Amino acid sequence: MSSQKHNQIFAVVVIAIVVATAALAYYGWPMGPQRLIIATTTSTVDSGLLDYLKPYFDNKFNVNMTWLYLGTGQALQVAASGDADVLLVHDRVREDAFVASGNGTLRVTVMYNDFIIIGPPNDPAGIAGENATDALLKISQAGHDGTTVFVSRGDGSGTNALENRLWKAAGVNTTGALWYESAGQGMAPTIRIANEHIGYTISDRATFLTLQSTMNTTLNLVVLCENDSALLNPYGILLLNPIKYFYIKSDLATDFLLFMVSPQGQSLINNYTINGKQLFFPVYGHPETIGLPSENATVNYLNSLLKSRGLE
Amino acid sequence: MSGFEIIVEGFIKALQILFSGDQEILGITLLSLRVSLTATLLGAAFGIPLGFLVARKDFHGKSVITAVINTLMGLPPVVVGLVVYLFLSASGPLGFLRLLYTPEAMIIAQMILTFPIVCGITISAILSLNPKLKDTLASLSAPRSWEARVLLNESKLGLITAIIAAFGAAISEVGAIMMVGGNLLGYTRALTTAIMLYTNMGEFATAIALGIILLLIAFSVNLFLTYLQMRSRVRRTT
Repeated sequence: MSSQKHNQIFAVVVIAIVVATAALAYYGWPMGPQRLIIATTTSTVDSGLLDYLKPYFDNKFNVNMTWLYLGTGQALQVAASGDADVLLVHDRVREDAFVASGNGTLRVTVMYNDFIIIGPPNDPAGIAGENATDALLKISQAGHDGTTVFVSRGDGSGTNALENRLWKAAGVNTTGALWYESAGQGMAPTIRIANEHIGYTISDRATFLTLQSTMNTTLNLVVLCENDSALLNPYGILLLNPIKYFYIKSDLATDFLLFMVSPQGQSLINNYTINGKQLFFPVYGHPETIGLPSENATVNYLNSLLKSRGLE
Repeated sequence: MSGFEIIVEGFIKALQILFSGDQEILGITLLSLRVSLTATLLGAAFGIPLGFLVARKDFHGKSVITAVINTLMGLPPVVVGLVVYLFLSASGPLGFLRLLYTPEAMIIAQMILTFPIVCGITISAILSLNPKLKDTLASLSAPRSWEARVLLNESKLGLITAIIAAFGAAISEVGAIMMVGGNLLGYTRALTTAIMLYTNMGEFATAIALGIILLLIAFSVNLFLTYLQMRSRVRRTT
């Protein structure tokens, strides 16, 4: 074969690759239903809740539901930049600030679970049965003695914010402490670090139970502190300001909110279990039953929307 | 269950997943290929001509430019991800394009990574050509286009190396596409970002399965490119 012919073959191969890639890039993906981007906290993803809800929501509204796996702090940041369509997060203080700043138009509590303090089964700090603040105080003392460590999310998430409030209440300054490890990661990776370092951490119950079921016996942490009202973990959905963020899919965002607060959505949340344990508890319409302020005005408005859309 | 058993069990489950023809995994694999191949080709489309120009022209600051390009060959993907994120964010200068969290954003980020790799290796491939060849071309007063064709053809071996290196960097990279793609299920979830997610969730078998696919892709693409490389070398020696 002549060199000329070789060159021709080479050129043909290169052109074929270019054309195939271009075709794959532009025609390979059939245009499906519109995509909704939810900016959410790691627990709703790590627990598998969104994976479970997706087919029901997608079918009902002909939408393609997707989500960004972030901590609450980052999720609020991404939404404030206009890069997501709706928020599903769990940090009431910053959620209210988000609405007050004009970035959001509406916030409603949809479900809750609780935080738990988990640690090694032999409990070197002796926190079992204590309330949350006393437990953290004991962990810090054991940490000073060098008998244990505490692994923090350290990522500005909702869980991280709760943890910081508890440290403040306990009067402990964690800055620079050798027993205090700041992971800068999501809930599941943080639990796995605490597991490897035989330390304590604070988790939402859903992520811990999920990780227990996937990791089986390799997860050697147990629940040591729970059922404290300071450990309540309510999740809210926030709609973004459709005038400020005119380019987001606010119709789909409203669909998602209505789906989550509709009887169907609430009962789906209620029925989601892992190893027979319920992970999230629906609470739309009656947040006062778990000691939160009433949301009557918002609930009445949403109920009328549900009625007009036939979603009651 | 010991740590070793987890690895063995994960591997067996991974093989089951691979042969089950899972649609989600197929989608993730196709997306990775689509993004990284496109980024490599675009990187080559800009990198080879620029590398050729830098190597052939004599100009002020040539060594500085070459040093800059060589430094950029080691660009950290997360830095590229951060910069592309800030530019493409709806509140950023290019936000009106609405490209954040799309495969196109991932292609842009990876192209920024592949471009200096292709460019840098092209420069060294052309500079390392026998100087006599350039003298001969000069003495023949060959037309510019003809000269470029001969030089690029002679350095084909190096150019293929450039593409291999660029593709390897792109397909294995996770930091940039995680930030600008957002790891959206069925849309921007690529092999590397999916491996991170499944590892986070403790689903090691799926993570291992995706790791095997990643290695197989890297291997087959390199096998093909190496085949081209071998052929061009055999031809030269005969």
